[in-house]
Amino acid sequence: MNVIFAPFIVVGRLLGALAGFGRARPWTTGLTLAGTAAFVAISALIFTFERPPLQVVQIGYRGTGMQAVYNTRRTDAQLPLQQVDLPLPAVTPAGKTAGEVYKNIKVLQAVDANEFLRLMGAMTQWLAPQAGCAFCHSLNNMAEDTVYNKIVARRMLQMVASINKSWKVHVGDGGVTCQTCHRGQAIPSGSWFVQPPPHGQRGLTQADSGQNLPAQVAGLTALPYDPLTPFLLQAASIRVTPTTALPSGGVRPSINQTDWTYSLMIHFSDSLGVNCTYCHNTRAFEEWDQGTPQRVTAWHGIEMVRDLNRAYMVPLTTVFPREMRGTLGDVAKVSCQSCHNGAYKPFYGASALSSYPELLQVTDTANAQSAENQAVGNQPAAIQSATGRP
Amino acid sequence: MSMMNYEHKYRVRGGTLVGGDLFDFWAGPFYVGFFGVTTMFFTIIGVALILWAASLGPTWNIWRISIAPPDLSYGLAFAPLREGGLWQLITVCAIGAFVSWDLRMIEIARKLGMGLHTPIAYACAITAYITLEVIRPVLMGAWGNAFPYGIISHLDWVSNVGYQYLQFHYNPAHMIAVTFFFTTTFVLAMHGGAILSALNPPEGEPVKGGGHEDAFFRDLMVYSIGPLGIHRLGWFCAINAGLWSALCILLSGPFWTRGWPEWWSWWLNLPFWK
Amino acid sequence: MLENPSGFGPGPKPQFGIEYQNLFNRVQIDGVLDRGPPLAEGNENRGKMRFSWLLGLIGNNQLGPFYLGPLGIAAFVCGFIAFEIIGLNMFASVGWDPVQFVRQLPWLGLQPPAPSYGLHIPPLAEGGWWLMAGFFLTLAIMLWWVRVYRRARALGMGTHIAWAFASAIWLYLVDGFLRPVLMGSWSEAVPFGIFPHLDWTASISIRYGNLYYNPFHMLSIVFLYGSALLFAMHGGTILATGRYWAEREVELAVDRGTAVERGSLFWRWVMGFNATFESIHRWAIWFAILCTLTGGIGILLTGTVVDNWYLWGVKHGIAPAYPRVYAPITDPGYLRGVTGSTSLVAPTGAVHP
Repeated sequence: MNVIFAPFIVVGRLLGALAGFGRARPWTTGLTLAGTAAFVAISALIFTFERPPLQVVQIGYRGTGMQAVYNTRRTDAQLPLQQVDLPLPAVTPAGKTAGEVYKNIKVLQAVDANEFLRLMGAMTQWLAPQAGCAFCHSLNNMAEDTVYNKIVARRMLQMVASINKSWKVHVGDGGVTCQTCHRGQAIPSGSWFVQPPPHGQRGLTQADSGQNLPAQVAGLTALPYDPLTPFLLQAASIRVTPTTALPSGGVRPSINQTDWTYSLMIHFSDSLGVNCTYCHNTRAFEEWDQGTPQRVTAWHGIEMVRDLNRAYMVPLTTVFPREMRGTLGDVAKVSCQSCHNGAYKPFYGASALSSYPELLQVTDTANAQSAENQAVGNQPAAIQSATGRP
Repeated sequence: MSMMNYEHKYRVRGGTLVGGDLFDFWAGPFYVGFFGVTTMFFTIIGVALILWAASLGPTWNIWRISIAPPDLSYGLAFAPLREGGLWQLITVCAIGAFVSWDLRMIEIARKLGMGLHTPIAYACAITAYITLEVIRPVLMGAWGNAFPYGIISHLDWVSNVGYQYLQFHYNPAHMIAVTFFFTTTFVLAMHGGAILSALNPPEGEPVKGGGHEDAFFRDLMVYSIGPLGIHRLGWFCAINAGLWSALCILLSGPFWTRGWPEWWSWWLNLPFWK
Repeated sequence: MLENPSGFGPGPKPQFGIEYQNLFNRVQIDGVLDRGPPLAEGNENRGKMRFSWLLGLIGNNQLGPFYLGPLGIAAFVCGFIAFEIIGLNMFASVGWDPVQFVRQLPWLGLQPPAPSYGLHIPPLAEGGWWLMAGFFLTLAIMLWWVRVYRRARALGMGTHIAWAFASAIWLYLVDGFLRPVLMGSWSEAVPFGIFPHLDWTASISIRYGNLYYNPFHMLSIVFLYGSALLFAMHGGTILATGRYWAEREVELAVDRGTAVERGSLFWRWVMGFNATFESIHRWAIWFAILCTLTGGIGILLTGTVVDNWYLWGVKHGIAPAYPRVYAPITDPGYLRGVTGSTSLVAPTGAVHP
């Protein structure tokens, strides 16, 4: 016991000696108590920090401070979460397509029937290892479209194909599979809904300004708590820093607009497990040529996520039952976190797409073209009003 | 010999820390001493190395000169001179010169029968420098984590290192350091102003003393810390500004690798209101 | 001890223990409280006074007497109104939940009007409260300034502190009023709140291309660090010569004693130069004044005269060039006609209605 209390006794005696110089004085007890409390609080705070070892990666020229700083304890803990599932064993092709063998095949008609079953098995493992086939199918009649998840899954297969074909500029040749986002969960961890003001109408007092609350998506800053709606659903301008030294007229972004961009950028960093210097030399955020090639990849990523949300997610809004949607009735949407899950590349660059080339054989039906037109119209009216702040 | 008229009686031998009477003399107004010699030694070599390193760079524009530490790949080893080795030698010279200067201040304080408050305060500043250039790089495993020597380039480094932690202002030790800096400046203005206003009253008024200084601050804000206390307060705030600055950068990296705002999650997640 | 202060040769040695380093008071005066010199005519009475043993550890142990006066009352009332407007709006922003108010307090803020309002007066809920809080806070500060000035005059002293305070007010006014007016938008001003004002600080630097390249920001930091340096040097010198009554600075400034001689010689021997007991305080007040004065100029020029400080630095040849690490990178937006910052729409919350 003495060992445990020794620090308190030492601190107490020190403060007591300082305060009373060995003689009983008023305040001595109070000071001792206050000192002890402070000591306990400071001791507890130590556990809120990390400790070495570190791994530091140089990004820019030496001495510029462009570095990624990792604590290896944290990256080690991340590693099991960034493992691609082993591909299912290869199958002998049936020689007939799924469309010929099975009924009601809409997007995978061209896939070999045996490969089709293998892919179905993989999708079960990626999305719903517990629920199994029943997650999407009526077990009485697998061909039925009675479960809404099946409708969603068709559209998502088209989305995966679109990402792998049209967005190589962001995802590279490695591409994505269902697992990239889902990772064994029906709802990917990075999904998001439009966030209405959390505390509603407040009479005459200050209206919600979209910021000045702990913002989970912006790394716990007080910056805007929903930067995803304007930037990753709508196409608000992200660029705020001018490219001329002196004011040159035209629309001039405000400091407040910068808060929004900053919030989005912190979402990027947290989603990728990187910091601002992964893309920027922060002495001049706006200068592409002082940054890194990753910034170009990220730029295409923004375009991609906007496209995915508008062309694939929003049109599915009414397919999902109300309880699966957000407070305002909007559909779950894609963010950077959806695929990256805290890694600068999903699965640190590993990919299972080459084991499932069938994912590229998805038929893109006519509704894909009209999807973009539907996108805005399909949004619940509540979103318009919630985001229609002055 | 540029001496004050009262200076002669204070120029006595002794008080040195090492070497007895060796170098125990003055040069003009400067006291030399053993550590004056070592200061000159490190300064001359260090400045020469800076000039050499600058000559290898693309510019003699004083704002744009930058002498960078080695690449991270060198870890804590020596780097070739042109690739950060000069930065390493300059750092050794800088620390040698700074520490020598501080030890010389101690010798002078002893000679004059003074306390060691100024050398202690200066030691805090040296601590901050050593934290940035040695302790933190060592904890992070490479000299390349230190800042470069350049008027603007060190600002670029500060910018990038700040954004490594997404929003550096949320660093709690940085908050405390900035508060100490602002407080020091604030009390410096009040103290300087108080003495000047006592010494420079309006036309026709006599010079005021300590009683008036106390009365002014009591009238204004209830409390006057007093002529001795204000120097304790200022000295305390000033050295704390330096020490907390050192701590805030020491924490960044070795003891925290994420965005600083995220550190505050412990507060939001305290069990009684989570 | 004073007979052999330097401690060399025969005689008692000076002690360097913690109690002799002048860090706290070993003895506290326990006698008649000091009412202070009489005030000039037309002033009211001072308040009560008492001992504080705790404060006496490091400084005077006397609290009060306080001079309230009509200016003081007015300043307090205005400050209280501002404090309440800010606090109650923050309280409202967590739905009047007292626990969440404390929990989220550092994040809460009172936001200036949205950019769309320009310099118009918005409804209370849309920034009107911010304007009102700013008005009352400014009024409180101005009244306090007059008070600082008049308290000095009432004691027949110079008004140096008031003018140093004016320099701090200058920076406050630039941040919250003058620059927003020149920019034509209240939204450019600083929000009230702990984390919100830190976010503003970061955002203004990002928006205007890196404040580190703002030469007045550089100067302001130099004077800020310089102030800490000066106080460490000056405070240290006085404490180190405390055993020769160095703290009686005014008396020693007009009638030099051994404390002055030792303190002066210390710096003369260290760095070849010394200030006097008066001039060190001129250095002090000027460093402190220039910190906020240059800082205010730097902010006032930001956005009004210079839009991107980094590019301003490039233009004037101060930006270092670093060796290239990557192949040339061009803006992918050029292909889509997206250039600079003047395209597309602003995000929600900043868009014009």
